[in-house]
Amino acid sequence: MTTHRRLKFSAAIALTAGMLAACVGGNNQSGGGGTPPPTLNDLAVSVDSGPAAAPGQVNHAYVTIKVCATGSQTQCATIDHVLLDTDSTGLRLVRSVLTAAGVTLGGATDAQGQAIEECVTFGSGQVWGPVASADVTLAGEVAAALPVQIMDDSGAGAPPPPTCGAGGTLINGVSGMGANGLLGVGVFAQDCGAGCVNAAAPLPVYFGCTAAGACSAENMALATQVTNPVAMFATDNNGVIVDLPNLINANGDASVQGQLLFGIGTQSDNMPPATGLNVLGTDAQGNFTATYNGGTGVLPAVIDSGTDSYAFNDPAIATCSSGPFVGYYCPAVAPLNRFAVNMGVGANSATSTVNFAIADPNSFVAKAVAFADLAGGGGSSTFTWGMPFFYGRMVYVGIEQRAAGAYTGPYFAY
Amino acid sequence: MSALWVAPAHAALGGGEASVRADANELGGAISVTLLQQYDILKIATAGGMRVREFLSRTGVVFAVSWSGPVVPDLQRLLGAHYASYAQALAALQRPGLQRSLRIGLPDLIVEVGGHLRAYLGRAYLPALIPAGTSASDLR
Repeated sequence: MTTHRRLKFSAAIALTAGMLAACVGGNNQSGGGGTPPPTLNDLAVSVDSGPAAAPGQVNHAYVTIKVCATGSQTQCATIDHVLLDTDSTGLRLVRSVLTAAGVTLGGATDAQGQAIEECVTFGSGQVWGPVASADVTLAGEVAAALPVQIMDDSGAGAPPPPTCGAGGTLINGVSGMGANGLLGVGVFAQDCGAGCVNAAAPLPVYFGCTAAGACSAENMALATQVTNPVAMFATDNNGVIVDLPNLINANGDASVQGQLLFGIGTQSDNMPPATGLNVLGTDAQGNFTATYNGGTGVLPAVIDSGTDSYAFNDPAIATCSSGPFVGYYCPAVAPLNRFAVNMGVGANSATSTVNFAIADPNSFVAKAVAFADLAGGGGSSTFTWGMPFFYGRMVYVGIEQRAAGAYTGPYFAY
Repeated sequence: MSALWVAPAHAALGGGEASVRADANELGGAISVTLLQQYDILKIATAGGMRVREFLSRTGVVFAVSWSGPVVPDLQRLLGAHYASYAQALAALQRPGLQRSLRIGLPDLIVEVGGHLRAYLGRAYLPALIPAGTSASDLR
């Protein structure tokens, strides 16, 4: 287990440790002096091999959440191995996992009384299933009546329209996701945003589905779109900080423990440093820009805990043709050093050069789950700072239109 | 009902100019054309922010397509007959799960997908049909 911490934010960490000590046993009533105790805003993050039904994951950061049917104290479940994703918005849970836990969430309906279902594309596939309402608890924070998506791996709802998951490209299930769900805590409050509210031709994202299972794309008001739970918290609702330690072994660690902090600059444990923070504002699409290795291409870029590697395209680097990482980069001489220059968009216009290394993943230790220098053959149109970027950093994700001190979201920072 | 998910009648990638017209029709977009020495670029843009470019060779074959927009266009339609091998390659990924940025490199087909809800980007091309003197990096 990786337990050492970086020293850079030692003051904040000391405070965190103090808070944790005060919170042992779930009791954080030690504030005293008549001041209400701070809300417990610290959720454990674990990088491990994944849910029992889908072992063998690498660079997957998981959290455990509590979900209840809205308004219920009994229709509740604790769900582990929910993938932490800083580049999507909202909570999505696998239906068969909810069913096994005995929880039925109330489905959302549109003005015509039809079930609302959603299709969302990730690079490697699509998820499909109904929108439902849930009371979600993350550490001590509660998002009540949160619109979430149920990823319908059991086909209990309407079948997807022909373009959603065509040719077997649905990744709805635990094995498809490598997780029991997805916790999207990105820079937006709602997943689709204004583009889905009043389009002349509704985007094929939200659908109204008849009881017979016929679905048509329809517009969706912001309040009923799948929503970032953090944005609905009573406090600590302006963003999150992902805090993972440096790895110990270049060839992979067997487990990593870190934390997800809710709020930025709202409590003693989530104060950004006074100087030295690189704040990268994003555009309305959630991207800042990156230029890779001195090239001329200005690529839309994100910091994405849902991606297992640095994902970009460099035809000069060989890809692995054998071993457990086919398709990832296997540089002929490893480690291969590269860099990219990040630039913020709008008011938060920091420029930051990030050096990184690419290892030969065939040198990784079998059964290790966390690798610092894993790079993948991504598309050439984007640059994705995946999980390796998070090791040894505090990564801030600021939600749109929410202020944290001098900074207003949407932004990524580190 | 959205026109984006009507079953494809024509293949774009590997198809001819008529298939581009059909795509524009399905997307509800207008076509503008840029004539280049080696190929033409047929650009489809919709009011909803979808941008699709289809690259038409001098022999009248669409050898590349690219897209950007708030959602992914209907790839079954855009990739045409090549969609099946793309879907097969996705299913065969050694590390399945959520991969936000992906390059599928098959001997006769390259597909690159990336982005997230509100902003997807991608392209697909048939390497054997790229005109001489044209670089894959031009196909955007």
